Amino acid sequence: MTASRARLRAWARRQYWPAYLYLLPGAVVYVLFVLRPLLMTAWISLFDWDGLTLGTWVGPDNYTALLTDPRLREALLHSLVFLFFYALVPVAAGLVLTALMVRVRIRGLGVFRALLFVPQVLSTVVVAVSWRWIYDPDGPLNGLLRAVGLDALARSWLGDNATALPAVGLIGSWVMCGLCLVLFLAGALRIPRELFEAARLDGAGPVREFRTVIVPALRGETGLALVLTVTQALRNFDIVWNTTAGGPGHSTTVPSVFLYQDAFVSREVGDAAAIGIALTLLTLTVCGLITRVLREREG
Amino acid sequence: MGWWLRGGRGGEPRRGVGVLAALGCVLALGACSVPGAGGAAAGQELPGGRILRPVGPERVAEHGRTTLRVLADSGEREFLKRLVARFEKKYPNVRVEVETKASTDFFKTIVTTMSGEHPPDLVQGNQGYGVDGQLVRAGLLRPLDDVSHAYGWDLDHPGGTTDQLRWTPDGTLFGSGSLYGISQSNEYIGVFYNRSKLSELGIRPPHSWAEFTAGLRKAKEAGELPLQLGNADQYPAEQLLGTIQAQKVPVNESRAWINGVPGTTFATAGNREAARELRGWARKGYLGTGYNGVSADDAVSKFTAGKGVFMIAGSWNAPAVGGKLGDDAGFTVPRTADGRTVAAGAFGLPWHISAKSDATDAAVAFLGMMQSRTGAQAMADAGRLPVVTDGVDMPDRLGRQQAATGKRLLLGDGQTYYFDWASHSMLATIGSATQDLLTGRLSVGAYLRRIERDRAGFLAEQEAKTRGRGGGS
Repeated sequence: MTASRARLRAWARRQYWPAYLYLLPGAVVYVLFVLRPLLMTAWISLFDWDGLTLGTWVGPDNYTALLTDPRLREALLHSLVFLFFYALVPVAAGLVLTALMVRVRIRGLGVFRALLFVPQVLSTVVVAVSWRWIYDPDGPLNGLLRAVGLDALARSWLGDNATALPAVGLIGSWVMCGLCLVLFLAGALRIPRELFEAARLDGAGPVREFRTVIVPALRGETGLALVLTVTQALRNFDIVWNTTAGGPGHSTTVPSVFLYQDAFVSREVGDAAAIGIALTLLTLTVCGLITRVLREREG
Repeated sequence: MGWWLRGGRGGEPRRGVGVLAALGCVLALGACSVPGAGGAAAGQELPGGRILRPVGPERVAEHGRTTLRVLADSGEREFLKRLVARFEKKYPNVRVEVETKASTDFFKTIVTTMSGEHPPDLVQGNQGYGVDGQLVRAGLLRPLDDVSHAYGWDLDHPGGTTDQLRWTPDGTLFGSGSLYGISQSNEYIGVFYNRSKLSELGIRPPHSWAEFTAGLRKAKEAGELPLQLGNADQYPAEQLLGTIQAQKVPVNESRAWINGVPGTTFATAGNREAARELRGWARKGYLGTGYNGVSADDAVSKFTAGKGVFMIAGSWNAPAVGGKLGDDAGFTVPRTADGRTVAAGAFGLPWHISAKSDATDAAVAFLGMMQSRTGAQAMADAGRLPVVTDGVDMPDRLGRQQAATGKRLLLGDGQTYYFDWASHSMLATIGSATQDLLTGRLSVGAYLRRIERDRAGFLAEQEAKTRGRGGGS
């Protein structure tokens, strides 16, 4: 006891306390607007509450209900599919495009980069409405298919149980691709020219160069891109809601759709809070795993 | 690259202290009390005193300069612009402050807005447990029985028309008890048709259900799309079911189920027949293909662009349809085999007076004007269908058709309400289930069961809550 107290005192003496004053404003904002709502949500998730009248303590009941709800399990599966479309596809596409752009000098690179980044800047509602039009039974995608004689493939992409989920997923790929590419291109600019030259002198082709120079050099950026895209995939709501609202049937539901419905439609705020907390934990875990794996390989 | 890729090296004790300090702050700020504690204060007396007769300008003037704060759905903007001008002229000491929000935002925020310290004096809600039930249960609305009596609203609305605005004071029983709101807007689901398409096909505008279904068949045989439907938003197909169901099931039976009367079930013979007919329409290709991927708004544009002979949709689509099709646009509610006019429908969004309002007299006067012929004309001028149609000039032919049908509906008390009022989650449940019914992924039996299960669960929950409160409020 005394030893630890002495150590604490020694530690306290070593501190330059005024330094903490500089942290204070940021810390206050963080505690007030991030930690406090988060903890309040966790607290509310232990109640049966309609958002207005007095709540009833139910302990972990909301969480057990959540684990046993087959609709949520289905929604979670859809989220995994979205992980593929929102995270893996854009990261892979971004890496490949970066490798191409590094090898081939492209005129007006800045313009292309800006254009590819546009989906990130657009409001997701605008994105959703545009894609609803593209996917419409009478829309341009089907028009194109019919023009080249692929009438059999034309369909209501968002209205067909088999195609709705990948169709919504591809919107996500389109949105996230620009972000990944811009990140990777910025990183690739920092790769010393000598590395490429050395690789080429050793007789490395484009594939080899991609594997031994670009991918390792962009590990940090890849980690960042994965964390951002995975978070987006797991909390995905706006694009789903504005294209299919979870339908047809339940074929594109994600946990956030139920969170929204519980919180704002059926007003089971406790259930909604439990979904929110579970989703936060899941996202943190997955992102933690990603950073851990990438860090281990670094070391 | 970024903090998440770096471990904290050599900073262990400091980090520990930081976390502890943060937790301490959070616990202090979090104030872990039971959510909702110390919230609503339901008064026993009528806020603003009992209203004995219509509130005139003299009585409102007694309060001096008054601000009347109004919160409404953005769809009311045109109507309110006209009504407020007339109101401020008649009641010069009152300034009306209108705030509107788009529907989705509106329904998300209305309940919490009303539970605040200074809620708006007049506010719109939505029938059913989701919004109105919540507001009543939390004691946030002033009952309007006295106002209704003073203005004679009860006499304007025969039969059970206003039951959709009645609640027991604890907000648990829907459809009976005190009146908590009123509306000048009348909305119902009917059949839009394209006159030029009909005459091309040699189909007469349908008056009865048999004529309508014969028209669908004929349109299909002629290679036209019989019914335009856009069901990506999930509610339009529910309106299709409601339209078919109204033909087969007595109005009171539908309402009893929606109101949650014990012993009622969705799996009735009539509902089964209606669901089977809807499934049949989809199978026969009456709805075309791809409807589950088309939004409701897009469907209206397609219909006005000449895709589809008929469209089953809400009367409120009249401005959009009439604006494009002009005199080619027609509207009707086909009569049942025994000659009644029935349809899925109800009042538009109802108006409520806040229990915390300190301008009750002005608010009552405002509702009084809204329910009068002045209000009805303002509604008609805004391109919408009022409840009161006698002596009101409708702007166009489509409007006059809707007004005539609307009057028949109200006189015959023929509106069946909407299924999604039946529980908190019914909108989502019936929406996705109907999508599955149309595509054949759900059988008719399983479809009826899924809807009934949702409501049964909700009613059991309601009952447990009522019992938990010991019946008190």
